[in-house]
Amino acid sequence: MSDLKRTQLYETHVAAGATMVDFGGWEMPIQYPSGIVAEHLYTRSVCSLFDVSHMGRLLVEGPDRIRFLQYVLTSNIAALTPGKAQYCIIPDENGGAIDDAYLYQLEDGQLLFVVNASNTEKDLAHLEKIAKNFDCEIKNISADWAAIAVQGPKSNEYVDLLSGGKLPEDIKRNTVLTMQLEGRDAYVAKTGYTGEPLGFEIYVRSENAAWLWNRLTELGAKPAGLGARDTLRLEASMPLYGHEMGVDADGKPMPIFAVPLAKFAVNFSEEKSDFIGKAALEKQLDAFMRLRDGDFSACSVLPKSIRAITLTDRGVIRAGMAVYRGEEQIGWVTSGTMVPYFVFDGETRTEETGKRAIGLCYIASDVRPGDSVTVDVRGKRLAAVITAKHLENRTPPLAKAVLIENK
Amino acid sequence: MATPNELKYTSTHEWAKIEGNTATIGISDHAQQALGDLVFINLPQEGDEAVAGEAFGDLESVKAVSDLISPVSGTICAVNEALLDAPEMLNEDPYGAWIIKVEMSGETEELLDAAAYDALCEQEG
Repeated sequence: MSDLKRTQLYETHVAAGATMVDFGGWEMPIQYPSGIVAEHLYTRSVCSLFDVSHMGRLLVEGPDRIRFLQYVLTSNIAALTPGKAQYCIIPDENGGAIDDAYLYQLEDGQLLFVVNASNTEKDLAHLEKIAKNFDCEIKNISADWAAIAVQGPKSNEYVDLLSGGKLPEDIKRNTVLTMQLEGRDAYVAKTGYTGEPLGFEIYVRSENAAWLWNRLTELGAKPAGLGARDTLRLEASMPLYGHEMGVDADGKPMPIFAVPLAKFAVNFSEEKSDFIGKAALEKQLDAFMRLRDGDFSACSVLPKSIRAITLTDRGVIRAGMAVYRGEEQIGWVTSGTMVPYFVFDGETRTEETGKRAIGLCYIASDVRPGDSVTVDVRGKRLAAVITAKHLENRTPPLAKAVLIENK
Repeated sequence: MATPNELKYTSTHEWAKIEGNTATIGISDHAQQALGDLVFINLPQEGDEAVAGEAFGDLESVKAVSDLISPVSGTICAVNEALLDAPEMLNEDPYGAWIIKVEMSGETEELLDAAAYDALCEQEG
């Protein structure tokens, strides 16, 4: 794996006994000796650390930077105040996604743009081409700053300890603070990709990455790999570029509004003015709203949508498997595996665990939550149901599995 | 974990314990480690035929699916159905948790002894 890139934490992962794999050109931990299931459950019950330094970290600088970002992103950058972050998509002219990303305005006004690891070069080429028409510049700071996600019910407590009690108790989602963590510069963002109600993504200078990782481990956090990161985001129904965005199993581009989360990432306000793909996205939004109201004539604009799916028969569903309504193939599973969960007694988490075969699928837009479908699992048709969501996470500090009733 | 000397192994990481005409079949410690957390198993039924070198079921980890390849040919005379609810037993006790038992007839794949199997795992890294 000598041609692979390594993050600032490579040695730390290897020393911890991680299984390293090639992930989009990066040599990354897929799991630690405890295994994906244990890492998933530890995130939901205590706190896990994820090395997300493979993701691209870009600074957008120059007088025209706001106008530039308004043009190349779907979100409204004028609404992004200092100390806030927003989810956004890099659209193409046809309303498809080049990537999804997070844009942070740091408290000093710097604009930090974080993109998917495997798309960093593609994104940079696209953005730099357009930036030539604007007075602005994109600086890749991925090698200078490391990124660690700290996710789970105990994350607030650990980060507060490192900040010397300076973490606001009521810190809201999508806030990014400039802080000192035991004397070291850090950007602490209340964001994440696990569905945890409490969780942070922390940016520190490269030389402090191992220090932060080890300090959090001493406090009680445990490392988790890309395997658990994937099962956690899947349980939270968060899209992954290349699965729920990009091109479908037939190689056709997927419209941005196929993903319900797009509603929060795309903005048509007047301050935003024109942007790439705007006309196509306006049509998609209109269709999205009509579909939500049960007007299926909008299926001509958005034929398929991303939905949560739970297998009711025994088995596991995987990306690429065909989904059927009766004898009609209506789409594919885009992500799927078996994930563990904690059994709850009312609002109290018990120590009992179970597992369930869940996924996300890209299927006919007129299928509604509660509808029954089947999935072709290696030649066998297994029963599944479309669900509104797999995880309830509006009740901090704990996220709770949403189980289907006949289970 | 030491590779038990009394068992025979396949290059696809199953083990077989041969007693008289009956083979008890499971997966090796190397296999369970490489697969990671096992979450599902597809088992054959008693009375099904097993063919040496062919799949008799499959095993799913969080990450992927892999076929279970039979080291011997014959009639499946017992199936460890407890694995349906707890495939993780194969992670916890790979040489204790058996998957099927086969009443052997006809061909047997060429099987490896413990030393040859260890050498193979070493090679695969």
